[in-house]
Amino acid sequence: MRADPTKYYPLIPVYVAYLAMFLIGSNMTGMWQLMAMLAFYCALGQAFNIFLGMTGYVDFGYVAFLGVGTYGMALGITKLAHVEELGIGIIIIGLALAVVMATLLSLAVGAVALRLRGAYFAIATIGVNEGFRYFIEGAKIWNGSEGMIFTAELNQIFGRETASALSTFWADVLVLIIAAAAAFVTLYYMKSKIGYALTALREDEDAAKVMGIHVTKYKIIAFITSAVFAGLLGASAWALKTPYVFPPEVFEIHYTVEAIIIVLLGGAGTLLGPLVGGLIYGLSKYYLSIVLPGFQLLIFAPIIILIIVFFPEGIVGMLKNRVKGTALEQYVL
Amino acid sequence: MLKVENIESGYGSMQVLWQPSLEVKKGSITSLLGPNGVGKSTLLRTILGSVEPWHGRITYEGRDITPLPTHKKVDLGITLVPEGKHLFVEMTVHENLIMGAYRKEAFQHMHDSLKLVYALFPVLKERDKQKAGSLSGGEQQMLTIARALMTKPKLIMLDEPSQVLAPKLVGEVFETIERLKAEIGLTILLVEQNAEASLKAADYVYIMHEGRIKAEGGAEEIAASRDMREAYLGI
Repeated sequence: MRADPTKYYPLIPVYVAYLAMFLIGSNMTGMWQLMAMLAFYCALGQAFNIFLGMTGYVDFGYVAFLGVGTYGMALGITKLAHVEELGIGIIIIGLALAVVMATLLSLAVGAVALRLRGAYFAIATIGVNEGFRYFIEGAKIWNGSEGMIFTAELNQIFGRETASALSTFWADVLVLIIAAAAAFVTLYYMKSKIGYALTALREDEDAAKVMGIHVTKYKIIAFITSAVFAGLLGASAWALKTPYVFPPEVFEIHYTVEAIIIVLLGGAGTLLGPLVGGLIYGLSKYYLSIVLPGFQLLIFAPIIILIIVFFPEGIVGMLKNRVKGTALEQYVL
Repeated sequence: MLKVENIESGYGSMQVLWQPSLEVKKGSITSLLGPNGVGKSTLLRTILGSVEPWHGRITYEGRDITPLPTHKKVDLGITLVPEGKHLFVEMTVHENLIMGAYRKEAFQHMHDSLKLVYALFPVLKERDKQKAGSLSGGEQQMLTIARALMTKPKLIMLDEPSQVLAPKLVGEVFETIERLKAEIGLTILLVEQNAEASLKAADYVYIMHEGRIKAEGGAEEIAASRDMREAYLGI
């Protein structure tokens, strides 16, 4: 099974799309910002899908992991800015801190909330996100509600020009890499025993238990993995791109809702779904805001309802059924 | 093979089991009877560990398994066919069975187990590519039992397998249960409300009431006792 290269074929369309986004953005003037936004939504979907798509649990507090990731990078940069020898290493440390903090938070939340099921889990996670935000503000942790601004530190470490390239170019490249890595991990899980266990528990948790599946273990694996990618995404798409962090901005539930829409739109539990969902969501949001500024949400809501009604398994879920038995089958997952 | 001693458990602060004790002999069909809401399902769940035992002891093949988590107990060869149809309805019959062979030992024997369950349930073989959700009620119950067999159990606990089935199918399900004992030597703990049919199939019977065991005896003995029938079984 290990030597079978066809196992990885479904990654081809995913990686072609990410490469195309990079090439369009870097070669066509004025397109980079749009591609960066699309990459963010795709990465967000790809990361969230590992938990929402594979377990069927809806985490309304998901943005909290992006939030702590942002803080991880912010803390790394502000605390270590005076150590000159670090150079680019400071970014690595920031990413590592984001991973550690997202892991710790997901362990803490998972240990409590993953005992709950369905709507109870969803409600508990809303509480976690809001609670964590007010805890940071109230207890004045990490500067509390004043937030952290670290533009000066970045300029000091890298010089003005490099610092600017970091936030306008490299941060977005990093987002694309995160999206690609999350896609790889998704496929790896799908093809391994983890995916098998997650499918069983998503379809029927009681049945999974009596089959001897350690359901809690696999839920936590998916939860942590998904949280780690969210942390990395926060560290790059938020902290590096806009070098400041304020609690109300990074714990904004709006992003969780966007992530849910992207995953469901594209197809929960599929590999290609979050990419397709991210592109559709990002593009419609962008063009609707140009054509009908201020009305984009009003128009977007019914479109989403229609898609969910007509393609309950998402666009890729529908596509998967269509290509069954054709040569395209092994590329669509 | 399985011994439950003075077990207590429940949900939250509500105690459901008040120290029932029972024993299941190897190669037998032991039946647990009683009306709705007396804790029969809770007892099965507590044995398997999906409801945590508060007090008491559960011994399996001479080993204390009281604190083990569910998946460890399945590893030891205990499984449960839960009440209602917990099937993966979007998957085919064949896929459902393969999912059943999750644990390592079961996976190694998957081929043999498949042969066995298809021999036991030819109708599943005929429909192996059909979605589980499209099967009839009786076939779905067969599939649930078949999937449990894929875990290669030694002890199988069935929670109301004849529930919501047409009378003709009830007979079929009980026939299947007797075949599990006779043909593959399984040990069976059966929870039922259908007293008449289970008294026929069982070797030994426990009657449960308000979280306690009220009476026990050989199946024929219980069936012959007028008091038992009137007081607890309503037949």
